Amino acid sequence: MSADERIIEAREIAKTFPGGVVALDRFTLAVRRGEVVVIIIGPSGSGKSTFLRCLNGLEEIDGGSIVIDGIPLDHHRKNRLLIRQEVGMVFQSFNLFPHMTVRENIDLAQIRVRKKTRTDAAETTMSLLAKVGITEKADRYPHELSGGQQQRVAIARALAMSPKVMLFDEATSALDPEMIGEVLDVMRTLAAEGMTMVVVTHEMGFAREAGDRIVFMENGRIVEEGETERFFAAPREERTHAFLGQIL
Amino acid sequence: MTKNKIRFTPLDAVLIVLMLAAGLFLVRRIGVDLNYRWQWPVTLQYLVRMDGGSWTAGSLAQGFLTTVKLSLWATALATLLGTILGLMRVSHSLFDRLVAGSYVEMVRNLPPLVLVFIVYFFIGDRIMTLLGIEGLIRSASPATQAVLTFLFAPPARLSGFFAGLATLVLYEAAYITEIVRAGIQSIEQGQWEAAHALGLSRRQQLRYVILPQALQRILPALAGQLISTIKDSAIVSVISIPELTFQGLELMSATYLTFEIWITITALYFILTFTFSIGVRRLESSMQTKSSAG
Repeated sequence: MSADERIIEAREIAKTFPGGVVALDRFTLAVRRGEVVVIIIGPSGSGKSTFLRCLNGLEEIDGGSIVIDGIPLDHHRKNRLLIRQEVGMVFQSFNLFPHMTVRENIDLAQIRVRKKTRTDAAETTMSLLAKVGITEKADRYPHELSGGQQQRVAIARALAMSPKVMLFDEATSALDPEMIGEVLDVMRTLAAEGMTMVVVTHEMGFAREAGDRIVFMENGRIVEEGETERFFAAPREERTHAFLGQIL
Repeated sequence: MTKNKIRFTPLDAVLIVLMLAAGLFLVRRIGVDLNYRWQWPVTLQYLVRMDGGSWTAGSLAQGFLTTVKLSLWATALATLLGTILGLMRVSHSLFDRLVAGSYVEMVRNLPPLVLVFIVYFFIGDRIMTLLGIEGLIRSASPATQAVLTFLFAPPARLSGFFAGLATLVLYEAAYITEIVRAGIQSIEQGQWEAAHALGLSRRQQLRYVILPQALQRILPALAGQLISTIKDSAIVSVISIPELTFQGLELMSATYLTFEIWITITALYFILTFTFSIGVRRLESSMQTKSSAG
């Protein structure tokens, strides 16, 4: 793929935690515009979501380089801020702001970062809530919502910034089984609309259905990556084979 | 939270009667055995008295007013300074953390009485004169002087008042700094991360996400500290600021009405601090109903 097509370009990034745990070991991955890359992690997966957290500067990388939509993630404050504004992130534990209503959660960054007027922001907020299917909860506080609803609000909140890339960090891992479906539905819709997504998940069904490419990772390295169909039908590495055999 | 119902049992009635009896007994013993003559009417004159047909504030009431002014200003300014220093304590900059950290350690490890003298003799006596502030006040227009008197103290006592105020602010701010720091650090990392991922600057993260939640958590501790400020204001009596305690001391040496005066002063301090506690409790419960953080 040409440089123009790549929206995320991570080259040989390295990350070691203070305890000496190697989370990323010369990890290289490029993502095309509109591509849905699903990262699945082996049973001993250390530094599970470290890669995603490095992409928007939540973790500092020790080596290598990250370029997002042509902007290098370096030590320039402006670049880092710009990248955070273009990259949306959904967390395992939702992290909604408990002192704000659902509506205020989604309005906040639109008004303070995108400098939209309140009316414009309110309009976007309502249309996003309609998209994730919870318009009736707009004036409730997060603690009044179920886990699945909270996560859908968190997705709407990230989308409100009109990001170019969405990162999903085990977005369904903290949910009760009956609520996983509603969140995955929203993610499928996004994928179908052509949003560029990098998803760390254990949901193999979702990976198969919505993923364009699967990356199987273990101990900070890529064990195998490939087009979804090929990856599941004919894994090349023995390690992948064993892993898929265990969970499917 | 479920509210425990308060039930009044016969035992409570017995206890209350016993306590009243003990109190009355004590008062009587003081009168009889110590030969102490209770002179409440005279004492109350120092609170308010009829003077030529109109009510005039006595020296105790004036002292009370000074204490109120001192406490209100000290509370407001200490909260402001404490918040700024608290933010510096959690700053990314090592310099900020060092400055705020040393400040807190220094003030907290100094007897407040010593702090009063340091501030009074260095800042009040020397620096205010050096900067020509006193002259500036003296040459100010009567209207300005009236405003200053209303807000702080009469022109002649202004530099003493400021020295006392500065001491209280410096002293209490050190404790408020720690309360604010603890409040900010108690907020889950995920809140910072979510705000960060939304593209908010650090300042915005603090202002819109972290501080509102921290404030709610630290309100009880903050209220406790602010009530301490009112109580600690008594210490500035040693530099002759005519606040409640100082007025009490003066009055006592003039009238020897020891018991009455100190009982009155106790009551006045209690009224002030208790009103404050009730106000804070109201504020707290109204914040809680707005959003009980889950």
